[in-house]
Amino acid sequence: MSQSLLINPSAFEAGLEAIFAARSTTNEAQAAAFARFVKLRLPNRKVEGWKWSDISAATRKLAPENAPESAQIIAPTPFAALDPIECRIVNGRIELPAEPAAEGFRCGLSDPVATIPELETHPVAALNVALTGKALEMEIAEGVSFGRPILIRHINTGVGFSFAQTVLRVGAGVRAALIETYEGDGAGFYSHLFHTVARDGAVLERYVLHDTGPDSIVHAICAAKVDGAARFDQTSLSTGGRLARHETHVHYWDPKSAGRINSAALLCGERHNDFTTEVLHLGEDCATRQLHKGVAADRGRNVFQGKFHVKRGAQKTDAQMAANALLLSETAEANHKPELEIYADDVECAHGSAVGALDEDALFYLRQRGLDEHEARALLVDAFVGEVVDGVENEIVREVFHARVNAWLENV
Amino acid sequence: MLKIDDLHVAVGDAEILKGLTLEVPTGEVHALMGPNGSGKSTLSHAVAGRDDYEIASGSVTLDGEDLLALDPNERAAKGLFLSFQHPMEIPGVQTMNLIRTALNAQKKARGEEEVSAADFIRTIREKARLVGLDDAKLKRPFNVGFSGGEKKRMEMLQLAMFEPRFAIMDETDSGLDIDALKMVGEVVNALRGPDRGFLVITHYQRLLEYIKPDRVHVLAGGRIVKSGGARLAHELEKSGYEQFIEAA
Ligand SMILES: Nc1ncnc2c1ncn2[C@@H]1O[C@H](COP(=O)(O)OP(=O)(O)OP(=O)(O)O)[C@@H](O)[C@H]1O
Ligand SMILES: [Mg+2]
Repeated sequence: MSQSLLINPSAFEAGLEAIFAARSTTNEAQAAAFARFVKLRLPNRKVEGWKWSDISAATRKLAPENAPESAQIIAPTPFAALDPIECRIVNGRIELPAEPAAEGFRCGLSDPVATIPELETHPVAALNVALTGKALEMEIAEGVSFGRPILIRHINTGVGFSFAQTVLRVGAGVRAALIETYEGDGAGFYSHLFHTVARDGAVLERYVLHDTGPDSIVHAICAAKVDGAARFDQTSLSTGGRLARHETHVHYWDPKSAGRINSAALLCGERHNDFTTEVLHLGEDCATRQLHKGVAADRGRNVFQGKFHVKRGAQKTDAQMAANALLLSETAEANHKPELEIYADDVECAHGSAVGALDEDALFYLRQRGLDEHEARALLVDAFVGEVVDGVENEIVREVFHARVNAWLENV
Repeated sequence: MLKIDDLHVAVGDAEILKGLTLEVPTGEVHALMGPNGSGKSTLSHAVAGRDDYEIASGSVTLDGEDLLALDPNERAAKGLFLSFQHPMEIPGVQTMNLIRTALNAQKKARGEEEVSAADFIRTIREKARLVGLDDAKLKRPFNVGFSGGEKKRMEMLQLAMFEPRFAIMDETDSGLDIDALKMVGEVVNALRGPDRGFLVITHYQRLLEYIKPDRVHVLAGGRIVKSGGARLAHELEKSGYEQFIEAA
């Protein structure tokens, strides 16, 4: 480590550097990305946008090593009923689907993306580009009628760290569904960078179920470019981890694009979840709907950061954001930061955020009707989160999400 | 029999009930009247088990069983029902789902079998018609956006569904139109019988035209200051509470 470029690295950062140095396949873009990371470093609470999710502190004590080669046992997916095209990324290693799937669908390994312009200054994105081996690349050709959803299972076990990238191009006019699950009892660090393009008139539904062990540290970025009259419809449900951060960056370049970015977090113990989103409106007449519901019990911490940028040319933008958190204990926390940055004058944009406790009057009412304390609380929490879960268009996904919420409520 | 003996209840620093004693024998309907702020709702909440009401002393029993030792849901399972003066709105919970969950929770606590979905739907539709709520309301979030009168009808729907052993009706008549008042009378009179009791809290004689009380009590200054037959309500309508406020 005599040639370390990092000044005062943590054990974790030093480990990252060692792994980078040991890579034989590193290309120029990755070298440039690592150089960016050396400058940016793992963000701590003093860095704008990372105040409530100090990834530097969370990873400091991690063993500086690669995650294990394979997972021991892989549980069946709750999404089996959808008959999905299933890919797995186990501790960063990509396992392609068993059979080459439907017509018009291509799926394979490729070199990692060099960079995503909008994420040029993102420290974890830079690290991801530098350290990802191969990317999972998927494409659905234009005009294909494509019934099966794609399922990507991110499974992490053991300690250590791993990196992965996936790319999905959705051809014009195609309607596609992508489900991503974050699973496993891993106690290491996992970084995933997902890059997607929905071409003109396409509809991409993306569902994220984050259901990992309590010690996981997961950072996932979704960068979605939504073309003219295309639609990006995302619903995420997370039970958090030691630190879970799901970032969504949506960009509308053309007119009449639309997006929905809904999310719910259920956090018990010491779990932490951060939904950070950024929607860039460049084209005219685009619409965004965003609803977040966070529930924190015990010492759980719910973080929501949402930002709508509306650029000068983006007239007739219609964008609405609402973030609500329910705190079930005195020691639970919610940190919300909704933001609007608007440079166009003919727009309709609104945002709101509220943090509160369960309504005691409602609780008493339900108990008078015969529900015990646990049942009454569960009913009210379920109703609170229900707004996000009930909005899921896919019926099976909706049921899986409902079941996960109910299972969580059993134990709170 | 609901038996309340020398009950002292405080909210924060203020003592609201100061030694209230009241007995409603099984099979009877009693009316409770009294000026605004005299503690009628405090009494109903304390009997139902709301925990921010501090019970300094006294006892409350239902058929000899100590209610104060039980959780609110256990009291409900024993057959105590409170029709709220200000019923809650519960967003995100479908009305039918709430009532069914509650009914089954009570049955489970009593060791009875749960109602089947089909039986439940048939019964609730029938009773909803009786209280003047249409099917669409049953599918909506509980009480959300309902009018004051509709919320009271929803309380009567639950009374009819749960068929409790003892019901406290806290100003069910306020905000109700004439037809609804009549309906309340019908629901109560249909349930009235030798093994049920009612405590009907009201400000007006009107409701008592439909529900003839066996006894009428006046609450003022934290105690029952007068009890009498059905005629007492008529007298109060004429004379008001002034005499009791002064006395208390
Ligand atoms: N949670 C509370 N916090 C503070 N004061 C309270 C609370 N609940 C009741 N009180 C007070 O206790 C007193 C009795 O109130 P209560 O609601 O029982 O009266 P009431 O007889 O039902 O009146 P009304 O006829 O207007 O319904 C009032 O002075 C009221 O302000
Ligand atoms: Mg009252």
